[in-house]
Amino acid sequence: MWYGPNLQRSYKYMMFASKMPSLRIDKSDLKCKNGCDYFGNPQWQGYCSKCHREQMQRQRKAEKESSATLPKPEQKKTDRGLKITSHSSFSKFEEKRLRQSETLKKANLLKFSVFKKSSTDDHDHSAEKRLPEFKIPAMVNEGMKSDFRMKFSQLSPSMDRDARVFVHSFIMDVIKCANVLTVDELSERVQRQYQRFMRHMDTSSHFTNVDSDTKELLMDFVEKHAMTYLHELPSVVFSPTGTDDERLDRAMSERIQQLSWVGEKHLECKLDRSNAECRQLLYKAISELLGMDSALSPGGKLSRVRRACRHVLRLCSHAAPASADDLLPALIFTVLKANPPRLVSNINFVTRFCNAQRLMTGEGGYYFTNLCCAVSFIENLTAESLNMDKKEFDSYMAMPASIGGSSWAAALSLCGAAREAQEQREGAAQVLAQAQQLQARADSLAANALSFEEQIAKKVQDVLAKTPLEIKPRRELPRFGKFKEINTAALIDLGSNNDTEEPKATAKQPQPQATTTQLTEPVYTATDSVEITHKQPDTSVIVQPSDEPKLNILGFEVIERESPSKSPQNWDLKKTGSTELLTPSPLGFTPFDSRSIDELMTPDEFVTDHLPPGLSNINYDIDLSDFSGDNSIAEDAPKTENKDPFSPDGLRKTVPFDPFAPQTSKDYAVLESFDEFSFVHKNQETDPFEVVHRGNNPFSPVEMRADLENDPFTPQKKSTSILDDNDSPTSACLLPSPLLPQSSKKST
Amino acid sequence: MKVIEAKIVVLGSQGVGKTSLVVRYIGKMFSKHISPTIGASFFTCNINLDNARVKLQVWDTAGQERFRSMAPMYYRNANAALLVFDITSVSSFTAIKGWVKELQSNVPEAMVLSVVGNKSDLEQYRAVTVSEATQFAASIGAHYCETSALHDQQGIDQVFLNTASALLRLSSSNTMSSLRAYDSSDGDDKIPTGCPTEEDATHTGKVELPSWSIDNIAHGDVQKNCC
Repeated sequence: MWYGPNLQRSYKYMMFASKMPSLRIDKSDLKCKNGCDYFGNPQWQGYCSKCHREQMQRQRKAEKESSATLPKPEQKKTDRGLKITSHSSFSKFEEKRLRQSETLKKANLLKFSVFKKSSTDDHDHSAEKRLPEFKIPAMVNEGMKSDFRMKFSQLSPSMDRDARVFVHSFIMDVIKCANVLTVDELSERVQRQYQRFMRHMDTSSHFTNVDSDTKELLMDFVEKHAMTYLHELPSVVFSPTGTDDERLDRAMSERIQQLSWVGEKHLECKLDRSNAECRQLLYKAISELLGMDSALSPGGKLSRVRRACRHVLRLCSHAAPASADDLLPALIFTVLKANPPRLVSNINFVTRFCNAQRLMTGEGGYYFTNLCCAVSFIENLTAESLNMDKKEFDSYMAMPASIGGSSWAAALSLCGAAREAQEQREGAAQVLAQAQQLQARADSLAANALSFEEQIAKKVQDVLAKTPLEIKPRRELPRFGKFKEINTAALIDLGSNNDTEEPKATAKQPQPQATTTQLTEPVYTATDSVEITHKQPDTSVIVQPSDEPKLNILGFEVIERESPSKSPQNWDLKKTGSTELLTPSPLGFTPFDSRSIDELMTPDEFVTDHLPPGLSNINYDIDLSDFSGDNSIAEDAPKTENKDPFSPDGLRKTVPFDPFAPQTSKDYAVLESFDEFSFVHKNQETDPFEVVHRGNNPFSPVEMRADLENDPFTPQKKSTSILDDNDSPTSACLLPSPLLPQSSKKST
Repeated sequence: MKVIEAKIVVLGSQGVGKTSLVVRYIGKMFSKHISPTIGASFFTCNINLDNARVKLQVWDTAGQERFRSMAPMYYRNANAALLVFDITSVSSFTAIKGWVKELQSNVPEAMVLSVVGNKSDLEQYRAVTVSEATQFAASIGAHYCETSALHDQQGIDQVFLNTASALLRLSSSNTMSSLRAYDSSDGDDKIPTGCPTEEDATHTGKVELPSWSIDNIAHGDVQKNCC
């Protein structure tokens, strides 16, 4: 990576960019900067009280120290880097830029040292103030928390806290010192920090019953998190400023490319190119080595190296266990073939900032040492080290890099292709398995559906078997026809005459009773009362002159008769139709909406030969009002005849009448012959649209069926209440009072 | 119980049998299941002495002459060295002398040295006499023993056991207390936790009193905090 001369600036930019004001304040922003779980306070520079006190003490101490000892001017050793670059192809320009950047850096460092020296200076204050501004993102904290829970679930949270506090102070310390110290000093400081944490673990009471292995794991944990974060910061710990790491990386990469002709025979390692297993192992080792760059912590890099070396070991151990004599050449060969990116930077990073104890001991340390040896061997490779003639070596080196090692490159690319094929095969197998799974699930779903269907079918059958469908003869709707029966029964019974051709007088007699009772009713609701009071007198009055008893129920008939110009049939139709319009209640009637509106006879439909065209638009209401106009005349007569409006006489007389009596009853045969809807005798039907026989209306409520003789749902008791009085001939046609229970309809 | 962690590096020319020596030693420990894929270049073993445990990390080195320059990386921070030579080859014995010089000049700390004459079964081809080797070993303060790949198992054990006990004595002496930071745990009283793993080579007791005194073991100036 190339950061150019202003990398110092870019780093600072990054530092403060992370502190950019945002609209959201995270909870973690309020926490102590040290990462302990207490809340911080701006007065204490974002620390909690405890950490602030510690911080202050440390600062005071540091100031004392720094004023005592001046920072040494930095001495960089660049000769090693230059040696390599001499035969690499760096342009002059780049060299110049590098030097420039170094001088810039030195100037920067100088400035910092000035700050450090004169701690009482005003500038110092600003610098001191700005540095603590930097805060480690909460991500680190959270990551550590979850990681700790995962790895050390058995350890107490106080250790977690300790580790986090340490990591925070560690990171802050490194960032602060990165500008001031040389890399070696920084590395030393980091190592001292590691030791400090180790000592802390040894002495602290939290860690008394933690064994040494766990302590080492904790150490690794701390190192990993601190270094992972620092690794991301440019030029702080990874290829830091003031080192030649980047340049060496390039030099090394070019060097390896130049040496691509070096084969297994030059290194005297026994590798069999034609062996597929051997190729695979080499390929794995190479990919691990390449992966070293992507690992962020020294421990991660180290473990990559370890894995790579294990592959190499397996590679060169054919019969006997491989020894170092075999390992090193094979590793060199692997490195040459891999040409890992930023190799020198990575190695230096691990060397400087890995916990020294880990690096010096253990398997990882051993393999890392081997890698270092390999790199150093490659760096210093000469004709002698390959046991070959100087001339030959030179001619090889002069050869374009692309020619050499093509056989191995081919073998490895074959390996890569094989690997890819393998991966794809695995992928295909996975997809296949998924498809099979899907298929199985689909099958089971289908089976489920089938069984469900069967189940449902069985249930339905069961239910059907339990409750067989009996198609009983349909019961008549107590529509107009019924009410006619009822009413006529009430009316006609007085005369105890079954004949429809009743004398007028008998028909007349009970009617006033009913009407008067209704008239005297005070309980009518507001809406009903208007119409009803209007109409009842109507009917009652009109009934009197009517000739036919069947028409007594509705006085309209009579009026129509009287009016000479109109055909009685048509008027009947009209009336009934509109009456239904007025009473959409299902009570006793076919529900309004159960019948198509077209079925209803609109006045327009009666524009027949009988009617003058102009009259087709006559409103039904107008007709009613016309009748009401006669009220004044009719009112008196029935009232006088009324003996007792409340006497249930009339009702009692209806007792013999059973509305649910079979229709065969002669009394109602005649009535039945009328269509309930049209009030027109069926024999008289003339117009096709008048034939609206409701008798077979399938929508008629079941409970209204007349053949249900002793309907358990309809109390047979006589309704003595006035409210229940339905004997009025009109009441049946009119809006049923909401006060009347529905069942009362059936009771006479 | 005292636990000492030490790094021991195996030096010697190519072909003297460093690896076979190591493999034989590991092979004994891993007798149950030795896998040929396990490299013999690095391994750890625990040696239990009377009152202490020594954790040895054995680092094998590449003996080829061209890798000679890389050797300092290996023996850096080492506490002990096994100098292996072939009794049938004088050149390997002289190479040992070179190694010793190099160690003396490069390693600042006290180091336990052991000279091992390998291939003792090839007595008829012997080029380096026992007395010559013993004399040299005594001059550098090292212990000399001969081993054989064919039959002498005892010799190899003896080499490691001697090294372990010498390390123990070295750590208990004042000079070793100023060890490098990485093995600061040396000399710490730790009760070993966890059951011994398969790597544990348990040789109890049998502490031979070596013929050399403590003054002879260490060489070079002791520096504090070298790194």
